[in-house]
Amino acid sequence: MSELNYVGKSMRRKDGPDKVTGKAVYTQDVKLPNTLIGRILRSPHPHARMLRIDTSRAKALPGVKAVITVDDTKGIKHGFVETPRYPPDQEVLARGKVVHVGEEIAAVAAVDQITAQKALGLIDIEWEILPAVFDPEEAMQADAPQIHPSHPKAPPEYSNIGGTTETQWGDVEKGFEESDYVREDRFECQLRTHGYLEPHVTLAHWESDKLNVWTSSMGVFVKRAKLAKVLDLPYSSVRIHKTYVGGTFGGKIDLYSHEYCASRLSMITGRPVQITASREEIFSAFRHAQPLILEIKTGVKKDGTLVAQRIRAINNAGAFRGSGVVVIFLAWGFTMIPYRIPNLKYEGLSVYTNHTVRAPQRGHGAPKVRFAIESQMDMIAEALGLDPITIRMRNAREPGEQLPNGDNTHRGGLGACVALAAQKSDFLAKFGRNRGPAAPKDTSGTIRRGIGIGVSAYMGGTLIYPNGSAVIVKMNDDGSVVVLTGAIDIGQGSETVISQIVAEELSIGMDDVKIVSSDTDTTPQDIGAWISGMTYVTGNAARQAAGNAREKLLQVASEKMAVPVEDLMLRDKMVYHRLNPEVRMSYREVIAASVATRRGDTIIGEGFWRTMRDEPAHPSLATTKGRWTENYAFSAQVAEVEVDIETGEAKLVKALTVHDCGFPINPQLVKGQIDGQISMALGHAFMEEVLTKDGYTLNPNWLDYRMPTIHNMAISEDADVITEQYRVGQPYRTKEVGEGLISGILAAMGNAVYDATGVRLHSTPFSAEKILAGLKALEFEAKKSRSGQKTPA
Amino acid sequence: MIFFDFDYERANTLEDAVALLARLQGDARALAGGTDLLPSMRMENIKPGLLVSLGAIEPSEPEMLADGSIRIDALSRLSSLENSSLLRNKVPMLAQSAHVVGGNQIRQMGTLGGNLCQETRCMQLDQRHDYQFVAPCFKRGGDCCYPFPRNGHDICWSVYMSDIAPALIALDAQVEILGEAGSRRICVEELFTGNGLKPLKLGQAELLRAVFIPPAPRGFAWGFHKSTVRGGLEFGTVVIAVALQLAADGMTCVDARIVIGAVREGPVRATTAERSLKGAVLDETRLAQAAAEASKEVNPLPHHGFTKRHLMDIIRVYLRRTMTEALERTRNPGTDRETAA
Amino acid sequence: MLDVTKGTMVGAAAKTRSLTRLISLCVNGEWHEVAVKPRNMLVEVIRDTLGLTGTKASCESGTCGACTVLVEGRPMLGCITLAVECDGKQVQTVEGLADGEKLSPIQEAFLDQGAVQCGFCTPGMLMSATALLERNPKPTRDDINKALEGNLCRCTGYNTIVEAVLQASGQGGVKPVMK
Repeated sequence: MSELNYVGKSMRRKDGPDKVTGKAVYTQDVKLPNTLIGRILRSPHPHARMLRIDTSRAKALPGVKAVITVDDTKGIKHGFVETPRYPPDQEVLARGKVVHVGEEIAAVAAVDQITAQKALGLIDIEWEILPAVFDPEEAMQADAPQIHPSHPKAPPEYSNIGGTTETQWGDVEKGFEESDYVREDRFECQLRTHGYLEPHVTLAHWESDKLNVWTSSMGVFVKRAKLAKVLDLPYSSVRIHKTYVGGTFGGKIDLYSHEYCASRLSMITGRPVQITASREEIFSAFRHAQPLILEIKTGVKKDGTLVAQRIRAINNAGAFRGSGVVVIFLAWGFTMIPYRIPNLKYEGLSVYTNHTVRAPQRGHGAPKVRFAIESQMDMIAEALGLDPITIRMRNAREPGEQLPNGDNTHRGGLGACVALAAQKSDFLAKFGRNRGPAAPKDTSGTIRRGIGIGVSAYMGGTLIYPNGSAVIVKMNDDGSVVVLTGAIDIGQGSETVISQIVAEELSIGMDDVKIVSSDTDTTPQDIGAWISGMTYVTGNAARQAAGNAREKLLQVASEKMAVPVEDLMLRDKMVYHRLNPEVRMSYREVIAASVATRRGDTIIGEGFWRTMRDEPAHPSLATTKGRWTENYAFSAQVAEVEVDIETGEAKLVKALTVHDCGFPINPQLVKGQIDGQISMALGHAFMEEVLTKDGYTLNPNWLDYRMPTIHNMAISEDADVITEQYRVGQPYRTKEVGEGLISGILAAMGNAVYDATGVRLHSTPFSAEKILAGLKALEFEAKKSRSGQKTPA
Repeated sequence: MIFFDFDYERANTLEDAVALLARLQGDARALAGGTDLLPSMRMENIKPGLLVSLGAIEPSEPEMLADGSIRIDALSRLSSLENSSLLRNKVPMLAQSAHVVGGNQIRQMGTLGGNLCQETRCMQLDQRHDYQFVAPCFKRGGDCCYPFPRNGHDICWSVYMSDIAPALIALDAQVEILGEAGSRRICVEELFTGNGLKPLKLGQAELLRAVFIPPAPRGFAWGFHKSTVRGGLEFGTVVIAVALQLAADGMTCVDARIVIGAVREGPVRATTAERSLKGAVLDETRLAQAAAEASKEVNPLPHHGFTKRHLMDIIRVYLRRTMTEALERTRNPGTDRETAA
Repeated sequence: MLDVTKGTMVGAAAKTRSLTRLISLCVNGEWHEVAVKPRNMLVEVIRDTLGLTGTKASCESGTCGACTVLVEGRPMLGCITLAVECDGKQVQTVEGLADGEKLSPIQEAFLDQGAVQCGFCTPGMLMSATALLERNPKPTRDDINKALEGNLCRCTGYNTIVEAVLQASGQGGVKPVMK
C-alpha cells in the first residue's frame, strides 16, 4: 500500500493563519449596523416566587426598544434531554418562580450597554422568598423544600429527583459473600467549571422572515433545532452562521436563555440584537460541571479479580434537569467499560438543588467516576499485597470482548496501554518508595515524590440528535475542492482533520481543500463537537464523500481514457494509467469531460456516516438497555507528583498518557488534546473549585477560580497503542482523544499523592489543606502506636 | 466595561493633582496604573465623578541619596522596580516583592503608590452586585457583612493584599505624602489603620510621592515569600517579609522585623515573635518557635476560601523557611545588600 | 468605607456637558482620531471604533490577558486601560505583527508547534511573547513563564506555547513539528 501523504502527519492547522493574525471571526467580532444591545435580568434569590413583575418603567426609559418576560414567549420548554421519559422541563425565562441565583427573568434591548443596564434596574418584582436547599442529600429528603416535583418514576420516598438510572447483572450480594475481600468507600468531587476563554455571545438578526444567528456553540444543528423549537419557527427559518469558537469543553451545547432572548428581541424590534455574557455571569449564572457523590462497594478474590460491585451515584443537578440524567447514565458506563465486573448493581440519582443548572464538562462524569474507582482499586491492591499494575492487568477487558450492554470492545487496547504505561514510566521501580519498609529514613528533605496510575475508557460517538453527519465534497473545475461540512471547529482541529482526509482520499494538496463549515443553511447536518465523535463520524463521512467524488472521477476518466478503473491511479490532481503513466488526464480535463458527457455533472461527492447503523436510538438513560457505541477508546495514564509534606502543597511533575486512539489522523493535534486535558485535570486535582454559599457564587472570576497558568503545566508525554491502520478507501475506526484523557490522569494524581504521602483523599480537589490534615492525622496515629497506647474502647 | 460616566483630567504635576482632588472634596480619585481602581469602578464599588490622571507625570528612576538611603518614586511602574539594577543590588527584597505582583501586564501597568493604596479585598465585595450580594455591605456604605454576619457595622474583615507593603515595613521604609499643606513623611507602617472599612490613613486629597528605604544596618539579612496556589497571577495566600539584624558572630539576632501580609486588614508585625528572637542565637529550633508564635499572634482572617487553620500552618512553615533563607543568604554575600561601612 | 458618588457638582456637570473628546492613537503605525468618553476602555476603542477585532474581550476585569496589546512597547491589558490615557501613544495589536503577508517569527512558530487550538487566547499570547522577545531575545524557560503568566489558556496546556517561543528565539534546538 502506498504511503500516506497527509493522514497520519502533523499538518498545520487550516485555521491557524487566521487565528495568529487576528483575522479569525468569533461571534463577538461579527458587526451588523444598527445593532441593539441586550441584557438579561437575573434572579437575586436561589428560590423565590415572583408575585408581580412590572416592566413598564423599563419600557418607558428612552433608548429601550423592547422588554420581554416569559409572557412574551410561546411558553415552549426545552431541555438538554428531550425524550418521552424526560420531556423538556425548562422555559427560556422564569415563569412564576425562580429556582437558582442568576436565573433569567427578563431581557431588554436598548441602544447601548448603559441604557440596557439602567433598564434592568427599572424592572420591579415583588418577591416571596421560598426555603432553598443546596445539598443533594438534603434535597432528597422527603421533607426538603420542593424545587420541582420528583420524576414520576423516581422512588417515592425521595424528593427533588430529576431522574434515575438503575441497572444490574448477576447477583451482587452473593458476589460479596463469595469475595475474599470487600470494601466500601465514598468519594466526592467539587463543583468545577469549563473556563473557556471566549464568553457566551449571541448576535441575532431577524430579517423579513429569516432569523440569522451567530452564537458560540458546540454544534449548529442541535442549536438550530432547540432555538427554532422555542421560537416556534420551522428550522428553515433559522440560520446559525459559522463563527470560530473560543473553547467550549461541554459548556456550550445547551440552548441558553440569552440565545432565545437575542432572537426574540430582534424579531420584535426588527434590528440585530447582541447579548454578551460577562465573565461574572458565566461564573455565577451559567452552567457548570456536575459534582458527583459516589458510594462504591467492591468485592474481589484474593488475587484481585473483581467479583461484585455496587455503586450509588448522586448528582447535584442544579435547578433544572439539565444534563444530570445523562451523567448518571454515563457514570455507569464509565464504570463498566474498563474492567470486567461479573456482578454489578448500579443506582444513579440526579437531584434538583437551588444551584445553577449543570452541563457536561470534558469527560462528563468520567473523571469523577475513574477517580473513585481507581482510588479504590489501589486501596484494594494494597490490602491484598498486590501492585497497581498487576491488579489492573488482571481485570482489564480484552480486545473483542463482549460487554454486558451488547457493545464490543473491538480493537480495544487497555491491557496494552497499561503494560506500556508501566514500562515507559518505570512504574514498579518508583512505586511505594515513601511508605512502609522502603520509606526514606532521612526526613530532612520536605519534598516527597509519588507515582500513580489510572485507567479509563471513553466512547467515540453515540446516538444523540442529530445522530449522523453528512459531508459534501464539491470539485472545482481546476481540481481543487470545497468541502461542505456542518462540523464546528471549537479548537480541536476539525477543519484540519477533514482537510487531511479529503486531500488524502482525492490525492490533492492541502491547499487545494477549502472548508465551508458549520452553517445550517449551506452545510449538511453534523453531529456536533460534543460526543467525541467528530473524527470518527464526520471524518468517515468526509472520507466517504471524497471517495464518492473519487469514484466519479475514475468512472469518467476510465471512459475517456478507455482504461478499466482498476488500472487507474490518482496522484496530485492527475489520473494515470498504472502501467503506462504517459496515459493520463488531469482532474481539470476529467471534470470538463464529466460536464460535457454526463448531463452537466460537475462531480460532487456525498458522504454520510452514522455510528451504530443497526441501532435505532441511544440506549435508555434510565435502564441503560441498548447499545451505546461501537468505538471505545482506552487509556492508561501515569502521574508523578511532588508533595511538600510540611505544607501539603502538591503539584504534578510528569504525566504519561498511553492511549489506543486507533490511528492518529494528525499526531500533533492529538498531542494538543492530551496536553489540554492534562492541564484541565491538574486544575481539577489541585486548584479549581467554584465556591458557593447558599446558592451564591463567591468566586465568579479568574482571580479566585484558579485555572492552571503557564507555571503549572507538567511534562506531558504520550504514546499511542496503534490498533489499526488508515487505508485510503476504507472506513476507519479511529477513536476519540478529546475527552477521555482527563479521567485516568486525575485518578493517577490521587493515587500518586497517596504514594508520596500515605494520605488517601476521598474528594477532589487535593488541596494543600486536606493533604496537610491527612499528614497530621498519620503523624498522630504513628505517635500513638509508637508510644504503645491502647486506643480507647 | 464601566457602566457610568465620569470626567477625566490630566495633572501635570503631583501638586496639580492634589489641588484638583482637594477642590472636588471626595468626588475625585487619582488614577495611576488603574489596575485596582478601574476594576473597582467596573464593579461600582467606587463611583467617582472625576478621575485625575497621573499618567503624564514622569516618575524618576530609583536613586541612592547622599546618606545611603534609596528614594523610589511612587509612580514607578512595578516592572521598573523588579528590573532596576539599583534595587536588585541594594534592596533585593523590594525588587522581589515587586516581581511577584499579579502577572506581567499588571506589573507593566501598576505603580508602587497604587500597589500600596489598593483597597482591601473580600470575595463578596469584589464582584458586581447586579444579582449577588446586592444589598451593600458595611464597606459599601450599607448594613451588613456577608462573610461574617455577626460583625458590627464598624468592623470590616476585608483583607489587605499588597505584596510590597510587608517588604517596605520590614525594611523600615518611610513614605512621603503630599497634601494641600505640603509634604510629610511617615513610616510605611503608620499608613495602615487596621480597619477594613478604611484601610489607609490618607486624606482624600493626599497622594504618595515617594518611598525611602534607609541604608541597611550592619549584619542585615532579608527573606521574602509570597505563598500562592499557582506560583503567579494571584494575590497571596500569605505574604511574609523578614528583616534580621545579626551580630558580628552572624548567628545572634540584634533586631528582627517580621511582617505578615494578606491575612488581615493591613500588614501585621509579629512583635511577640520578634521579641523572642532579639538577643537569641538563631538556630533551627528558635526560628521554628518564633514562626509558630507568629502564626498565632498574627491571628489570620480566613479569606478567599482559605481557613484560618490553613493560613496559620502556611505562616508557621514558610516564616521559618524564610528566616532560614535569610540566614543562608548572609553566608553568600554576593547577593546581599551592602551594609553601611 | 468606599465612597459612592452622591450627586456632586461634578456629577451634575457630567450630565449636562458632553464628556466626549477626541484622542489620537497610532495603531499599528496608522494614526487615528477617535471620539471617546473617559469610561471607554482601550479594548472597546480598538475593537468597536477602529474595527480591529483581533484583540479579544474575555473577562473585562484584567484577569486573563486575552486583551493584551502593546502600548509604547509595553504589554498592557486593554480591558482595564482607559482609551483617554493612551492619547498620542503607539499601540500595537495582533494585526500589526505580520509584515504584509509575511508572518512574524513568533506567529510562524505558533503554527509550527501547534500552539493554537481555539485561538481565543492567541492574540494576547502573541503580544506578550512579542514584548518579551523585544526586550529579551534569548529568554530562558523561566523568563518565558514569567512573561506569559498573565495570559490564560484553557486549550493547549502551555507546553507548545513555550516551545513556540523557544523556536522563535532560536533556542533549545526546537524544530517545527507541524508542516
